[in-house]
This record gives sequence, structure tokens and C-alpha cells, in this order.
Amino acid sequence: MSEVPAVSRRSVLAGAVASGALAVGLGTVASAPALAAPGAAETVTTSERRRLAGQTSMINVPYEEHRTVRVATIGLGNRGRGMTQGWSIVPGCQVTAVCDIRADRAKRVADDLAKAGKPRPAEFGGSADSYAEMLKRDDIDLVYIATPWEFHYKQGKAALLAGKHVIVELPIATQLDELWDLVDTCERTRRHLMLAENCSYGRNELAMLKMAHDGVFGDVTNGHGGYLHDLRALLFSDTYYTDSWRRLWHTRSTASFYPMHGLAPVAAAMDINRGDRMTTLRATATAPKGLADYRERFVPKGHPSWNETYINGDLVTCMIETANGRTIRAEHNVSEPRPYSRINSIAGSRGIFEDYAGNSSTGARIYFEPDHGDDAWRDFESYLKEFDHWLWKKIGDDAANNGGHGGMDYVLQWRTVHLMRAGLVPDIDVYDSAAWCAPVPLSVMSLEHKGKPVEIPDFTRGAWVNLRLGLDSRMTEMPPV
Amino acid sequence: MSVHVTAARRAVAALAVAAAAFTAAPAAAAQDPAASEARTQVTIAPLDLNGPAISEVKVTVTNAGPERLSRLNVTLNGPAGWAVQPAVRSVDGSYQPGAAATAEFRIQVPEQRAGFTMRTFTATATYKGGDGQGTATGTRVERSGAALARLSDAYNKVAITDENDTKAGEFDGEGNSFSAQKLAAVGLTPGASVNALGAQLTWPAAAPGTKNSVSSTGQAVKLAGKGSKLVFLGSGVGFGATGTATVIYTDGSSTAGSIGFPNWSFQEPTAHGATLVKSTDGRNRPDGYGNAGIDYRVFAHSIALDPAKQVELVVLPANAAIHLFDIALAP
Repeated sequence: MSEVPAVSRRSVLAGAVASGALAVGLGTVASAPALAAPGAAETVTTSERRRLAGQTSMINVPYEEHRTVRVATIGLGNRGRGMTQGWSIVPGCQVTAVCDIRADRAKRVADDLAKAGKPRPAEFGGSADSYAEMLKRDDIDLVYIATPWEFHYKQGKAALLAGKHVIVELPIATQLDELWDLVDTCERTRRHLMLAENCSYGRNELAMLKMAHDGVFGDVTNGHGGYLHDLRALLFSDTYYTDSWRRLWHTRSTASFYPMHGLAPVAAAMDINRGDRMTTLRATATAPKGLADYRERFVPKGHPSWNETYINGDLVTCMIETANGRTIRAEHNVSEPRPYSRINSIAGSRGIFEDYAGNSSTGARIYFEPDHGDDAWRDFESYLKEFDHWLWKKIGDDAANNGGHGGMDYVLQWRTVHLMRAGLVPDIDVYDSAAWCAPVPLSVMSLEHKGKPVEIPDFTRGAWVNLRLGLDSRMTEMPPV
Repeated sequence: MSVHVTAARRAVAALAVAAAAFTAAPAAAAQDPAASEARTQVTIAPLDLNGPAISEVKVTVTNAGPERLSRLNVTLNGPAGWAVQPAVRSVDGSYQPGAAATAEFRIQVPEQRAGFTMRTFTATATYKGGDGQGTATGTRVERSGAALARLSDAYNKVAITDENDTKAGEFDGEGNSFSAQKLAAVGLTPGASVNALGAQLTWPAAAPGTKNSVSSTGQAVKLAGKGSKLVFLGSGVGFGATGTATVIYTDGSSTAGSIGFPNWSFQEPTAHGATLVKSTDGRNRPDGYGNAGIDYRVFAHSIALDPAKQVELVVLPANAAIHLFDIALAP
């Protein structure tokens, strides 16, 4: 049976006209959002982008097989340094080049690898464009980007244009036109770009996904996720985020910067881009109090931060609706005191899963019919064993010993290398990555319009209706080294 | 292994006939008893359930009626939570009597679970002409894994405790349980015979304070023999202890029926069509025996069987509020 073809430009146009909400700038870079015409639902519209001639979808396109995956890193701060070491220990993976605007960081990481008995990678650094020189090399298959957010789009696109596959830390881009451009660049270059969403490979998250597919929760109707992490001390540190780049985002944007850790697993459980899609987003934001309050109490007068005004709401909440009538709540809060949580919950007609709740050693609790009928939460432990994803069964011990963030980082890296070496279809593609990062610009738009719903673009251009596998994958072996 | 649920199909056909009364069945069908029996057949082809996978499913609609069949739309539903694409298939063309049309679907199949599973798929066709009924339904049930050898293998709740040690009780989710002493007072000692609704059942032999009842969550249990009905001995938690039990015969066919038990204490003893078997005085609470003067009860319920067929196994209702002590065939 053939899949349902992607929606044509003609039908997109027709639908937009019929709804009185024709987007501005069709076929071009997205321009300013517009409110719908009078009489239509008050939804802020966004532009669709026409697929140019000769450009085709990357959905279900496998990687070409690689005997060895040769990785190059751009950005060698806290995250980049640790992950580069992680790439180097995955079977069949070699770090061939490293780059940071600060050349001493590149040397430090190269030294790390050499001391660990790995081949010494080529070093690049010293200027903002050093990465471009590195991308000219022909011994790079995959570029890993861990620079500050404002550089992700430019560096990701450059890597694609250089013929490399790309994996980018969150987010892949911060503007809507940039997200579209990365989708288009992938389709033109036939290279994959994916969000380095390690939480998509979390053990609880993957078990939750498998339970959703099994029907344990019945028809999944709602999900909740987010990134609730008290980062105040790190944000005001003079050394942790280079040049305080992350705190400065709080001075210039109202966006939900980083909800993807909670959103992506919920989206996977709802088969977003694989039978459903996110259609609208409404955002709310509380007043930006947390960082200023922290500064008042803990940061010395004269610190550069005292010249800053914070405009990013402490708690930014995105309410997302899907084509199949589901709702997702995605939260972001790094500015107030609280224990860590990604929320990570889904619920449906027959049950509910909640992470970061209860007293289980798994951190999660569960309740569903018919197994439970007394309104009492159950420990997730036995269900985690039953629905444990094959990746964790296979490499969980390695992940626990080698990877950060509870092993999620190693599973993400191992699986990415596995997919490339075995020539498989990515679990996470550019369409997933763009959709999960879209709340960054769309939350700004919605807040500008006092919380009105904003259209979420269909980056798949209609192909979302087709069922296809993703993170709930079939087990295959890592090719022998 | 696949099973076609004939009873369900008959029930749906009966509904379809009832619906046709409102939509004016063709005169020929109304006048010809043989023609009126010729129903549109909806058949679901075997599925590949080796997930995770996106499996293709073919549904065949055969026009067994006297008229041409047209304007055919087909829907397919899998187990709850399983994604099916598309929601509806419109099939072009007009099909003469005896002709068949096919509609293809894609379904998201999860990884196969360990143990016994029974997955039900239902296809519904709506159409003009044909047998004049306007709608027809086909069901396919896919089984995998082995059933439990006996009901006691499914014991998962401590429903009975000794009055001298009540802490293990978990009948109702609040730590309460039947008193072994009070049960004995009405003849329900471990391993005792219990006659109810024509069947001879056995009270759990398991010791008080151990797992000695089944909270019914769709477990499959082997049961050999023939009978006119299957009798369930148990009691209910809450006020909604009802569900559907399915009996599968050795020939692959099946019978489904609803059972229900009243709340073990606070509900009419005939609620859900149940029959009171025994009443005991009071109950065991986490802190010891209590609630003297209030009845805590055991009930029976049954579903009808095809007495000519050999029973192979029983799939218990999927409702944890139903607590079972035994099941047995009645002659």
C-alpha cells in the first residue's frame, strides 16, 4: 500500500484561502506573522515554504553505510568537551577534528583524546570562522555542534553544505525561517541534520513510548513535558557558560528557550510527524522575577550582570494542540528555585504515566486499566522491566559507565553511530528536530499577540499523515568493528 | 493463531438488521428468506504482529447480496491505542453480487509482549445496495503466548486473611480483606466445595494471608471440558465490577459474555445480574477484625456456552475491580 502523498502546494493554498488565513510569503523565507482575517479563528498564521524543484523529502532516507563514523566537534565548552569524549568511545567512531573559537580548548580536547589512546584529532580554532576551515576536510562524516544557541543555525547549515551529516545541541535554530532553511538545506544536500535530544533516549522516556504504542494508556490524549531546572547559579557563573551567553538570552528574548527535553518524548509517544502533527501553540509567561531576585541576594554589586534587564518570563508555558485532537503542555523554567524535572507525563483513555513523581527508584509512577482499579498509583519498576527499550537492554551497562545524564548521552551517541554505520533511517530527522524547536520562535509570536494561538508549520509538507517507525525501533546489531 | 468471533459477528448482524428496518431494505431481500440471510462478508487478512513495525492490513468486502454494491467505505480499528491509517478508505466502483472489493490499511504494531495476548481487529463497511443492510462488520482476533494452566496461577491479591494477622490484606485497595474465620463459619474453608448456578466450584486452598484471589485483568486460563455455562465465583470492589469474559473453544471459535459482581458490601446483591452465594459477618482491616454486623459477600455469575463445543481456555474480564475465587463449567 502506498503512503499518502505529501500535500501539494495547490492544496496548501486552497486550504489557506478557504480558512481566510492565507499566509504571507508562501515559497519564500517566512516574513512577519499575521492575524487571521476577520471571521476566521484568531490564529496567528505562519508561512509555509514551497519545496523547490529538484528538492525531495528526507523522510525514510537511510544514511549511507559508514565503516567508521568520523566525527568533528564545533564548540568545546562544558558540553562539547564531554560529548567529544563520548563520541570517541563508541565502537566504530573516531573523532577526527575538533574546533573552538578558543584554540586552547581544541588543544585541550585533542590532548584528552591522545592521552586516552585515541588518534589525535586535527585542531581548529582562533577565530569565529575556524569551523569553516575544518568543514573543508574530507575525513568528516558527522559534525557535532555544541556552541551557544545563536551559532547553531549558521554552523549547522554550513556543515550540511559541506556535505556532512549534522547533529546539533538544542535548539537547532531559534528563528522560524532558520528552521525552514535547515529543512530545505537537508532536502537539497541529501544530508541529515538531527537535534541531539538525549532525553528522547532516556530509559523511562523510551519505556513510556513503548507502552503508548502497546496501547497501555488507550488512546493517548494529552502529554506534559518541560525543562524545569534551577540554573541560576550556573547562569551567573563567570566561567560555566562562556561569556555568559546563556544568561544574555534572558535579556533579549521572551522565548521558551529549551522545552525540547520534555516536549520531544511526549511528541514521540504521540507519533508527531508519524501520523499526527502539532498544529497550534499558545504561550503564557510569568513575570521575570527569578534572576533579578537571585542577583539581588547572591551576586556582588559591580558584576556585569547588574547592567542587565531580564525579559524572559520565569515560567513560559506552551499549550500545543495536534491534528488528532491531543494537547501537549511544554514548560520552561530555569530561573526559580525548584528540584529538577522534565515532567514527562502522558495520559489517555485507559491510564496515565508520570515521571518525576512518587517514591519509586525509577522516579516514575503509573496507573492504568484494567490492571489497576483502586485509584492508587503503582510503582513503575515492573513496567520499566517489561517495556525496557532494546537499546537499554543492550548497552545500558555501557551507558551507565560511560555516559552523562544517566547514560542518555551515550545511548544517543551509540545509536547515532549505529544508524550511520548500519545504513539505517534516522530515529530523529530534520522534520522532528524542526517541529520540536519551533516553540522557541512561536512562543515569542504568541506572547507578542497576548497568548493567541500560533500556527505550527508542517515541516513535512503533508507527509506527517503517514505512519512510520521512529524511536520505537527494531533491534539490529552494531556492525562489527 | 487467528480466531473469527462468530458470536460477535452474529450480534453485529442482528444490529445491522435492526438498523435496516429504518432504511427500507430492498423488497427482494425482504420477501426472500434465503436472500435475507445472504450478508455482506467483511474479512480481515492475517496480520504481521512482529513489531515494532508498520504492518499493512487488507480488508476484503464480499457482496453476498442480490444487488450491486457501491459507495463502499471501510474503516479498521485495532486494539486501543494502536494507530491505523487512514481513518476511512473509500472504495471506488460498483460490485456485482459475488464480487469482492479490498481496502488496505497501515497499522502501527508494537513489540510483542511476553505472555498471553489477544488482539482484536474490527473492520466495518458501509455501502449502498448489496444485501441492503448498509453496514457489515468483520472481526479478527490474533492470539499469542500461552494461557495459564489454572486459575490459581493467576492469584495476585490477598483477599482472605486470618483475624490474628490481617496486615497482608489487599482486597479493596485499602488493606481490607475477608476474614478466614468468618468465611469458615459459613462453610468457606480452604479447598471447600461451593455449589453455585449449577456448577461445582472450589474455594481457594491457598492459606489466609497469601495470594488467594485473582484481580481480573484479562488473564487467560486453560479450562478443559464442555458445559452449558461458565460460572464465576467472586466479589466486587467499587460499583463498576463488570466486564466481558471470552471463552475460546478448541475449534478456534469463541463465545463472549458479560459478568459483574456487586460491591462486596454496599450494593444490591443482584446488581449486574449476580447471585449471592455467601455472606460473612464483618471484615479484616489492617488493624484487625472489624465492621461486625455488616455483611461482606461472595457472589456468582455465569455466561452461556455452546454445550456442543470443547472449551480450551477462558480470557478473564479486563477489570481489576472483579475479584475471582474460582471458575467452573456447569453441565
